[in-house]
Amino acid sequence: MLLKLTLNSLYARFLTVCMTVFAISLSLMLYMSVEKLRTSAYTSFTDTISQTDLIVGSRASSVQLLLYSVFRIGNATNNITWESYLDIIDRDEVDWAVPISLGDSHKGFRVMGTNKEFFNRYKFRGGQPIEIEKGFLFEDLYDVVLGSGVAEKLGYDISTPLIVSHGLESFTKHDDQPFRVSGILQKTGTPVDNTVIVSLAAIEAIHVDWSTGAKIPGQQTPIEEIRQMDLTPKNITAALVGVKSKLSIFYLQRWINDYPEEALTAILPGAALQELWRVVGVVENLLLGISVVVIFTTLIGMTAIIFSSLNERRREMAIWRAMGATPRTIIGLLMLEAFFISMLSVIISTVLLFFSLAILQPWIDNNYGILVSVEMLSIKDMYVFIMFIIAAMVVSLLPAARAYWFSINDGMTIKI
Amino acid sequence: MRKSIYYSLILSAMISVAAAEETRQVDKHEHGVGELNIAIEGSSINLEFMIPGADIVGFEYKAKSDEDISLVNTALTKFDDFSNIFTIPNAANCNLVEAEIAINQGDDHDDEHDHEEHEEHEEHDEHDEHDEHDEHDEHEHEEHGEETHNEFVAHYSFTCGNVKEIDRINFTYFTTFPNSGELEIQFVSEMGSTSFEVEGDEPFINLKGKI
Repeated sequence: MLLKLTLNSLYARFLTVCMTVFAISLSLMLYMSVEKLRTSAYTSFTDTISQTDLIVGSRASSVQLLLYSVFRIGNATNNITWESYLDIIDRDEVDWAVPISLGDSHKGFRVMGTNKEFFNRYKFRGGQPIEIEKGFLFEDLYDVVLGSGVAEKLGYDISTPLIVSHGLESFTKHDDQPFRVSGILQKTGTPVDNTVIVSLAAIEAIHVDWSTGAKIPGQQTPIEEIRQMDLTPKNITAALVGVKSKLSIFYLQRWINDYPEEALTAILPGAALQELWRVVGVVENLLLGISVVVIFTTLIGMTAIIFSSLNERRREMAIWRAMGATPRTIIGLLMLEAFFISMLSVIISTVLLFFSLAILQPWIDNNYGILVSVEMLSIKDMYVFIMFIIAAMVVSLLPAARAYWFSINDGMTIKI
Repeated sequence: MRKSIYYSLILSAMISVAAAEETRQVDKHEHGVGELNIAIEGSSINLEFMIPGADIVGFEYKAKSDEDISLVNTALTKFDDFSNIFTIPNAANCNLVEAEIAINQGDDHDDEHDHEEHEEHEEHDEHDEHDEHDEHDEHEHEEHGEETHNEFVAHYSFTCGNVKEIDRINFTYFTTFPNSGELEIQFVSEMGSTSFEVEGDEPFINLKGKI
C-alpha cells in the first residue's frame, strides 16, 4: 500500500525525480571513479617490478634509487664500479644479479645497457615475464631491443637503424656507431615500454673514444677494432639482485650498505615503492577527501530537493492526513522515497561508471600507463553504497518531520 | 740533505694518501625511529629490531650509575620475553627457535646476550645475566665526554605451524617502552617486499595477503 503510494507519487513528479536521480548518480560516479583510479594507480605502480629482491646503486635515498633504476626518472648520483658489482655477486646469499647502465638516450627515450639475463629476471605484475613481440634479443654488439612504446611512438620496426645520443638531452651523438633494431618487446605497462635496451658491451663501445664526458677530438677508433676490444664495463649504474633465501635479504642489504670499498645502497623494491607511495599518499588522501565531500554534497542536495518538493506537496500531505495517515505513514512515505531515489542512483551510477571505464580504459592505459580494472564492485564499494542509502534515508527524516508539522498546521485549508 | 727533504716529502705524501684511503662511514642513528626487519620464508619468520637506546632507556651513554645500569638491565630482560615487544596470532602456531639480544655501541663494541634454546625461557636465570652485564661494565674503557650512541638489537627467529595465519603483528613495544617513537618496518616474504611505518596510536601491521 505505502510502496504503491510512494511509487505513484514519485511517478507523478517524474521530471524532478529524474533530475535528482541524475545529479546523485553523477556525484556517486565521480566518487567511484576517483576511488577506482586511486586503487588502479596504486596497483599499476606496485606491479612495476616484482621478484627482484634488492636493487643496488650508489649511496642515495631509497626512493631516488628506485626512481632512476626502475622508473627511469631522475639520475644516479654516482655509478658503481664493476669490481663492487663482482664482489656482490660473489656473495653466497646472491642467487642472480643483473647489471644495468643508464645515462644515454635516443630521441628522448632512455637507453639502458644490460645483459640478456635482464629479460629472464625482470618480472612485473606479480611475476609476469617480459615477452618478445618480434625479432630477437641482441646478438650483435650493435643490436638494440625496443620497448613497445618506443617502437610505436617512433614508428620503428625490425632492422631500423638508430643513433644513440650522449646524455639525456644533448646534441652530441654517437653517430660513428649506428645501431640496428633487432627485437621489439610486448607491451608491459611498465617503464620498460619506453626504454631502448642495448648490451652493456655496446654502452662501453660507444664510449671508447670518449673521455670525461666529451669526445676526444680527431680520435675515431674503427668499428672493427672496437669489436676486438675487451668491452667489459668499468662501471654500471645499478644492479638488480635476487637472493637464494628471503631470510638472508636483510643480512645482504646490511653488508652492501656497510661495504667499505664503495658507498653503496641496497633497497627492497617493494619497501621503497611503499615509501614513495606514502609521499604520494598525501595526494591520495586529498582525492579521497574530495570524494567524501562529493558524497556529502550529494546527500545535502537530495535533502534540499525533497524539502523544496514538500512545498508543492503540502496539499497532498494534508489529504493523506485527512484520510487517516498516521505521522508514521508520512515519515515512512518520505523515507521510502529517499530509499528509491538513492537506490536508483546507485544502480545508474554503477552502470554509467562501467560504461565509461570500458570506453576510457585504453586511453588511460596509453596516456598514463595506468591499467584501470573494469571488474565487479568490491566489497568496499558495496559497503559505501549501503552506507549511502542508509544515510539518505536518515537525512530524509528532516523533510519528513517538516512535512508532518506542515500537515498539522495547514489542515485542509491550505493556501499556496 | 736535499735528498732527505725529498724523502720526507714523499713519506708525508704517502702518509696522507694512506690516511685518505681509510673509509669513513657511520651508520645512521635517529632518535625516535626504531628499525625493524621482518623476513618470512617457508615456515620461518625472522624479526630483527634495531632501536636507539634513547627510545628504550632514555639515554645512550654507557650506563655507569647503579640506576642507569638497572634501567638497561630491566630493558634487556623485557626484550627477553618477546611478548613485551610484539605478539603474533596464536593460530599461526609459532615457536621461538632463537633469540639474540644485544647492545650495539657506536664503536662497534657489542654487549651480547645470547639465548639459544629459548624454549626454556621460564626457567632461565635472570640473575646470571645481570652479573654478566655488570662484569662488562667493570672492564669498559673510559668514554668521558665522548658522544656515544648505542642501539638495542634484538633478533627473534620462529618456526610456525601455519605461517599464513599471521595476518597481523601487534607491537606491545610501544607500551613496554614509553620513550619509544615510531618503528620503520621493512617486510619481505615470497609475495614480495613492502614497508610500514608504525606508531603508538596504531601499534600493529596488517599482513593479510602479504604472506
